[in-house]
Amino acid sequence: MRRYALAGFAAAGVALAAVPFFRLPAFYESFLYLVFHWIVLAVSWNILSGYSGYFSFGHGAFFGAGMYTTATLATKANVPFLWTLPAAALVAGIFGIVLGAVVFRVRRLRGELFALLTLAVTFVLATIVLNTPIDGGPGLYLSAVPLPAIGPSPSSAFYLLGLALVLATLWIAREIQRSRLGTGLFAIHDDEDVAEVLGVPTYRYKLAAFGLSCGLAGVAGGIQAMFISYVTVGETFSIAVPLNVVLMSVLGGSRHWFGPAVGAAVVTALLYAFTAGDYAVAGRAAVGLILILVILFLPEGIFGQAVRALERRRVSAAPAIDAADPPAPAPGTAREAAGETLLEARGLSKAFSGVQALAGVDLEVRRGEILGLVGPNGSGKSTLINVVSGHFRPDSGRILFEGRDLAALGAHRIARTGLARTYQIPRPFAHLSVLENVALPAMFGRDALERADAEREARRWLAFTGLAAKATSLPGELNLHQRKFLELARALASRPSLLLLDEVFSGLTHAEIDDAIRLIRAIRAQGATIVFVEHVIRAVMELTDRIVVLSYGRVIAEGQPRAVMREPEVVAAYLGKPHA
Amino acid sequence: MLEVERIQVSYGAAPAISEVSLRIGPGELACVVGPNGAGKTTLINAIAGLHRIEAGALKLDGRELSRLPRHAFCGEGIAIVPEGRRLFAGMSVRENLELGSYRRAARAERAESLERVCEAFPILRERLGQPAGSLSGGQQQMLAIGRALMARPRLLLLDEPSLGLAPTVVLAVFDVIKEINAGGVAVLLVEQNAALALEIAARAYVLEEGRIAAEGRPEELLAQADIRRAYLG
Repeated sequence: MRRYALAGFAAAGVALAAVPFFRLPAFYESFLYLVFHWIVLAVSWNILSGYSGYFSFGHGAFFGAGMYTTATLATKANVPFLWTLPAAALVAGIFGIVLGAVVFRVRRLRGELFALLTLAVTFVLATIVLNTPIDGGPGLYLSAVPLPAIGPSPSSAFYLLGLALVLATLWIAREIQRSRLGTGLFAIHDDEDVAEVLGVPTYRYKLAAFGLSCGLAGVAGGIQAMFISYVTVGETFSIAVPLNVVLMSVLGGSRHWFGPAVGAAVVTALLYAFTAGDYAVAGRAAVGLILILVILFLPEGIFGQAVRALERRRVSAAPAIDAADPPAPAPGTAREAAGETLLEARGLSKAFSGVQALAGVDLEVRRGEILGLVGPNGSGKSTLINVVSGHFRPDSGRILFEGRDLAALGAHRIARTGLARTYQIPRPFAHLSVLENVALPAMFGRDALERADAEREARRWLAFTGLAAKATSLPGELNLHQRKFLELARALASRPSLLLLDEVFSGLTHAEIDDAIRLIRAIRAQGATIVFVEHVIRAVMELTDRIVVLSYGRVIAEGQPRAVMREPEVVAAYLGKPHA
Repeated sequence: MLEVERIQVSYGAAPAISEVSLRIGPGELACVVGPNGAGKTTLINAIAGLHRIEAGALKLDGRELSRLPRHAFCGEGIAIVPEGRRLFAGMSVRENLELGSYRRAARAERAESLERVCEAFPILRERLGQPAGSLSGGQQQMLAIGRALMARPRLLLLDEPSLGLAPTVVLAVFDVIKEINAGGVAVLLVEQNAALALEIAARAYVLEEGRIAAEGRPEELLAQADIRRAYLG
């Protein structure tokens, strides 16, 4: 697959590189250079913003950083033009990483706040450049900077430089989309918290994507500085760059590496076709109209929708999934002695805006057991799962899992220690197929499988949970019961040694509960330890070896299910009437 | 009061429910049971106006509803406690409840309705000022029910009200449902906890694979061995 793609890129490169030698009028080369320029900006923007959903309106800042790096080095330090380009990449990339290192730490700065912040950065940078010796006001002239003799003419030099950069950018975008990094970014797009809990190092991934995205924009800026040969703050840091780039990506389709390239080519060609005549305004209107039509009728963009249609045809042609897939392999590693302490929590506390959700919880989970966690609504059961899985940090207390203190680890590191959880209200990645949803934790969990192995593993767990026929569906097409089992399959796919289940039985009929009980027993038989929060008392009584009862964030009882369920305090706080 | 006649609702090409008919008399409590994926949520959402009805009729007191815009259903006196709660997570508990009494007729009785809801679910009174998103799962379920009650509906649709509730709260919720019903509000209840639902319902429907497989008084249905086995064990 990769070899064919590489051959395709090489063929396209050679064919396009031959263009200048046909001695076309310079006009065509300049036009094609501009197309390349916008493709690089759009595709590089898409690496962070399209894949991970962090819409940046600051692409102009990084593009501008590259532009001024080249302009400054070439005019003031007499650095040869080509040597300024790596510097442009570096300056813009590092600028992005430093910005990201601050911004990505703050959970609140997602969505529109991130977009506004990056836009603000653009204006701040513009002000700095304008009021310091970098520019100082009059702008920088590059007309005296010698252009290296690449190709038969100056315009073909820009054409060839643009071509090389376009090919490199597209290749990078393609490789990222297919890599572990890309999978992680698409997961961040749908639900960043869940991605982190499943083992995706979200912070590092966002930084990497941002750095690459900015670096590529920086090189594009460096070449553009030489192309226009007169650099001013007003033109460089205008709102036009980010707006165009967003428009192009949405138009082409931001969920595929090639989508923004299609959008950029279409928009650039349209604008150029109209400005060449006397109809510049008409050109803008046409682009606007096309964008409205695309948003209405092709929400995934021109290219995105085409890819989706193709995929659908391919899927319907593919053979049905083999129902006799091999049974699920054992989760967990070697069977250690049952009964020893697997997880130990001491004095866990957590408060939310005045409500003490956990008020000093001590909990011990023994290897190989099924522990039921019950208690009134709001007693802290889900909070306990959220704290142990790293979704929240405890205010105080220690959590030892196989001897390691989890309280100090990030959620994605906890996932790699062999701990997995489900969510009470299922939180699947909405834009990933059922199969991709389940494959993800296998790629990012303890075993860190390659994609193909992870998908094989995922298919097994889908068969195990009865979802094999839904592998290519999107989670939105499943009913609640199936979404709950998708949660379960996703938790199992990382082969956890400890599985935390938050209300998997709720909403099931009597007969379905029987099936689910069998499923949980099978999981335990394969060596996993299970903690489950549940209100379906029948399931609790049939499955658990031991139960712990929480009330107002404290443990009020624990022990054998039958004995505990008769304790007066438990009856009063939780059951209402004694359990037979 | 409510007449559903041979309605069909589809997602894409596949019909989720078809030829489904049911009726609820004034002040009656009816329940729908059935396995997951049978179309229970689709049915209740269609009655609430959340899905387009492709064929058949939906009448409330003889008035055809199926061509009305979505928001008008509330004005007709229909309120729903939807699957997955669908609360306004960033708003306070009080704001969520007050939004429930948004329509004019209910607004006049807002203070009284709020008092009734807080009596039924005392924990909500303690949390009135907190954002709905900070409540535990079970408390959110109570809030969702409370919000529907604030609309002073004539017909209350409940999609799995016991989901995620502790046993004591389930009993309390069912007491509240009985009380509301005794006050003259018709109720349609979709519930997995078939034992409880059949205990309080006057009429029950079994929905399987998008069609009504059986209907009758609860004791009639419970006399059938296959239904007992599937839903009560």
